[in-house]
Amino acid sequence: MAEAEESPGDPGTASPRPLMRDLKAVGKKFMHVLYPRKSNTLLRDWDLWGPLILCVTLALMLQRDSVDSEKDGGPQFAEVFVIVWFGAVTITLNSKLLGGNISFFQSLCVLGYCILPLTVAMLICRLVLLADPGPVNFMVRLFVVIVMFAWSIVASTAFLADSQPPNRRALAVYPVFLFYFVISWMILTFTPQ
Amino acid sequence: MLQQDSSDDTEDVSLFDAEEETTNRPRKSKIRHPVAAFFHLFFRVSAMVVCLLCELLSSSFITCMVTIILSCDFWAVKNVAGRLMVGLRWWNHIAEDGKSHWVFESRKESSQETKTVSEAESRIFWLGLIACPVLWVIFAFNALFSFRVEWLAVVIMGVVLQGANLYGYIRCKVGSRKNLTSMATSHFGKQFLRQNTGDDQTS
Repeated sequence: MAEAEESPGDPGTASPRPLMRDLKAVGKKFMHVLYPRKSNTLLRDWDLWGPLILCVTLALMLQRDSVDSEKDGGPQFAEVFVIVWFGAVTITLNSKLLGGNISFFQSLCVLGYCILPLTVAMLICRLVLLADPGPVNFMVRLFVVIVMFAWSIVASTAFLADSQPPNRRALAVYPVFLFYFVISWMILTFTPQ
Repeated sequence: MLQQDSSDDTEDVSLFDAEEETTNRPRKSKIRHPVAAFFHLFFRVSAMVVCLLCELLSSSFITCMVTIILSCDFWAVKNVAGRLMVGLRWWNHIAEDGKSHWVFESRKESSQETKTVSEAESRIFWLGLIACPVLWVIFAFNALFSFRVEWLAVVIMGVVLQGANLYGYIRCKVGSRKNLTSMATSHFGKQFLRQNTGDDQTS
């Protein structure tokens, strides 16, 4: 379920190193997200391992360092997970109901992979937060998050927009905008203890 | 490409395959892929054990660990265990026109070589595959009725991932027979007959 591929060889024989094959596929898709062009790779050979890795990384980075982190107002691991996956599922349902011709898992794949720029933004924000807090700090983080947010939107619309009929494109893109906006908000308002 | 596969096969077979050169006698009770069988059970059982440790450790740590273990388990069972232990596989294929369809395959038994699916491995595989989602469903009801909603996310993930593998492999096993109920009735019919003839013989 988590990938679309044709496993070579007979079932029952060991296929040549499926782990490396899957990791290379994930890496290739990361490259496609970072340099979005009109290509079908994300759609044809979808897999959900990339989104899972990104989601886990993002959720881990959004954890606070304090031990009693239960009630400090930050997102718990499960909350980030639920927001990302539930949000992606909702957008997918929305685009299917609007008449899109993309399959459920393909859409999840694209939305998940396009979180990559925001994960990079989170990483940069965490590094920037090691310096002194202050307005300059905040402006730098704001700038980085805005740039990465725009990158995510551009990347995902490059892949998803074609699957919608032309008069419904704005309706399909708007939830994607909201989705990445919520994630960017979580990243921007993150403060370690 | 076939040659490349076979040369890489020997590389991988030496890692996963514990048996020596093939002999003529069928080995039904030997475990041929001990590493695959071990990891098949290890990930499933450790996910549940970590979940049960929720009293001792912080919830976000547990959630993270269980998520990672469940993902590893999904990958291992789907890509390695099913293929090696019982000769089944399933995946999704996107056709040229963009339509997606699911493919479920099972390896054909050839009559000349020895039966390549050993009984012990098959039993281990199916036991692990069926028992664990059932336990996760029980956990889900437990979390729901004791109102511990923070565990619900993790438990639902467990149910979904392990249930997906279960569904995929059952469909592979059923194979070209479209009707699952007819398969079930024929299986139970055979069991019933076997029991009755067994009773006749012993009495």
